[in-house]
Amino acid sequence: MSSADGAAICTNGLGWYLYGVVGAGDKSPRLDAKGLAVDPGHDVELVVEGPLAGVTSRVSLEEFGEEMLPDRLGDAAWLEEKISAHERVLERVLHELSIVPCRFCTVYRSERELRRFLAERKDALQAALDRVHGQVELGVKAFVDRKRFAAGEASRNEKIRDLQERAGSAEGGTAYLERRRLEQLVSSEVERLRSTASRDIHSRLLARADDGLTLALQAPEVSGRDNQMIFHGAYLVDVSEAEFKATLGSLAVEYRDLGVELELTGPWPPYNFVPTELRAS
Amino acid sequence: MSSRDLESYRSGQPAQLADVLERVLDKGIVIAGDIQINLLDIELLTVKIRLLIASADKARELGIDWWEGDAFLSRGNGHSELEERLRKLEEKAGLPTSPERGRSDT
Repeated sequence: MSSADGAAICTNGLGWYLYGVVGAGDKSPRLDAKGLAVDPGHDVELVVEGPLAGVTSRVSLEEFGEEMLPDRLGDAAWLEEKISAHERVLERVLHELSIVPCRFCTVYRSERELRRFLAERKDALQAALDRVHGQVELGVKAFVDRKRFAAGEASRNEKIRDLQERAGSAEGGTAYLERRRLEQLVSSEVERLRSTASRDIHSRLLARADDGLTLALQAPEVSGRDNQMIFHGAYLVDVSEAEFKATLGSLAVEYRDLGVELELTGPWPPYNFVPTELRAS
Repeated sequence: MSSRDLESYRSGQPAQLADVLERVLDKGIVIAGDIQINLLDIELLTVKIRLLIASADKARELGIDWWEGDAFLSRGNGHSELEERLRKLEEKAGLPTSPERGRSDT
């Protein structure tokens, strides 16, 4: 640590972890549960600055300071615990209030810096808050069960039916080749399904949402599912969620026969619908 | 809505850690000039933290806006290119390349 820096550091070695920003005029969320915060020894509290309030908690700068972070981040258990706490606090707030979520490890070294941020970026923060007012983020994933898809396709697709029959009756090397051709054909049909289904699902869900976007597809080791993910989206939806869920229900029924299963995640803090960077106003 | 529709999609299970990670680490508001990290790649993380030390304003002055470059950073191929850019910037700014950690935005 350079000496020029020393003056800015809190003498007690505590910083302010910022989870997100809410409107100060709104009711206060209940955040008094013990052990909720990323640093469980400290309580979650609101720091009110004008019309806005930061959802914060004190953190040890020994644990969350720049020097220590690279090491901490290599510690999967630490990371998982802290990230879960970050999300848990935001979800607690989300039950009662609209919130602009911050990215993990947004840490201020002093209350003064935190307040300065809230004051200086007031307009941009207010605009971000207005955009997500009364809304939550919902995640939607679609997975295809390849076997069920292929079985369904066989009734519609003559080529697949032929190959299935030939692969079934052939022996040895011929059977192997037929099976491979069948696999390739099914793969290209799955790819076609992915392309058409994702367009269809996204546009119909978007019509029931305030905003929406598609996210990167997750590999099976990430999604934890054997079935291939063919769609992944996030939507900014009215907190009642009813219209959106009705449409999702209809989609799920329609796509079930193709071996496609839909999954809903959330409600999430609107991570995907806040500016990624907040410039000084 | 019929009960059939309600049961037609999965939901309500505890959030997958992967979904939480993707959002908490890669989305949400980023405040330039404050401690901020992209943990998806620890190696890149240290690069970012080194850039952070030069402070966001200085970095902007030097024409680098790494906080907007997450897609570039996380796409994988840019590691060495980024390291090279960082080295050049540090030289240009007269910053030590060894991790002497200080911040200038007091």
